[in-house]
Amino acid sequence: MSIKKRRSIMDIFEDYFEDFGKEFERQRERLLETPSWNLKASTIEPLRNMIVTPTEVVVTVDMPLTKESSVQVKALDENTLEISARMRRKMTFKELGITHHKGEFRKLSCYSHVPVPVQMDKMKISFKKGIVEVHLPRKRGRQRAKT
Amino acid sequence: MSEINIVERKEIPSGAVMLFGFPDVGLVGVIAASHLVEELGLTEVAYMDSKLLPPLIVLHEGLPHSAIRIFGNHNVMLAVSETPIAADIIYPVIDALIDWGKGKKVKLMISLSGIPVQDRQDVKELKAFAAASSPEMLKIVQDKGIEALTEGYMVGPQAIMLMRCAQMGLPATALLAQCFLNYPDPEAAAEVLKSLAKLTGIKVDISKLLEKGEEIRLKARDVMKRTQEEMSKMKKTQEYDIPVYVS
Repeated sequence: MSIKKRRSIMDIFEDYFEDFGKEFERQRERLLETPSWNLKASTIEPLRNMIVTPTEVVVTVDMPLTKESSVQVKALDENTLEISARMRRKMTFKELGITHHKGEFRKLSCYSHVPVPVQMDKMKISFKKGIVEVHLPRKRGRQRAKT
Repeated sequence: MSEINIVERKEIPSGAVMLFGFPDVGLVGVIAASHLVEELGLTEVAYMDSKLLPPLIVLHEGLPHSAIRIFGNHNVMLAVSETPIAADIIYPVIDALIDWGKGKKVKLMISLSGIPVQDRQDVKELKAFAAASSPEMLKIVQDKGIEALTEGYMVGPQAIMLMRCAQMGLPATALLAQCFLNYPDPEAAAEVLKSLAKLTGIKVDISKLLEKGEEIRLKARDVMKRTQEEMSKMKKTQEYDIPVYVS
């Protein structure tokens, strides 16, 4: 568990805006609720999670049925990641238990919006048990008073 | 008339073990329950009917089914929900199931679930823990080699099941395997089934569950996502909190 030590009023504001950002992201996702697959692109949207700590942002994505060598993590801009991987084998709707749609999927792909400034060029990526983990160091934009 | 009815489709035997598999962390309970239904050849014996439930049915082979059903055979009753139970109806849903089980003179109630562990992908050997409704039940569980979850918070259906059973003097336990908080975890489901076998002798082959693990993770994404929303509303991450011990 990370322990955050409050050092200045700026930290408190920063925490507040982080929380606000997370809530905004949750509400945005709810309003834009769409299927978790895209038949045109033959992609399935994987589950993802994000943890913001005082020093870094950690994004994890559950990528079952993929290989480490096919994982791609791209920074689309300074706060958006695209994470994708080819599946080891295609999956059809039928295999997923759905018979009223036809089609197949070959790739897992998702976007992740990072709510605080980070150093995209210093990202570190790992892949364990089908989970992609991306570590992004946070940008420290201003000097802080030392306690 | 009660707000929740349990409609029986078949004759229910007395003295069975009643299991609960509800959407929660890592979908451990649901994945384990689904595997038990398949391996033990359990059939639907009853279902829950209530206007408290969301306006949702599950279609299987073109026919409507309640999202909360009870599967069983001569010695096992398994209550499963195929959709997350909203925080505001957990109490009446669990109360109805416990009352029904009590009426059927079930000898033991067991909730199959998980307990989130940080950096789960780095954990090589998962552990399972248990909490029980009484000191006697806790001793039985520990004597079977399952470690007790001695301190902490428990949030969700299994928490209410355990508390209600404790209040009513019914023998009950919650088996909790270490798992991912937000991702479906078939390995954790296999671990909880190992503990179930130790405790009750209800053994199933878990090799297929492990073989199909990645496929299950892919299929279970949508249910996991909906479950995450409900877990967030009920502050599930409180299970990570360090409790203040009040004697």
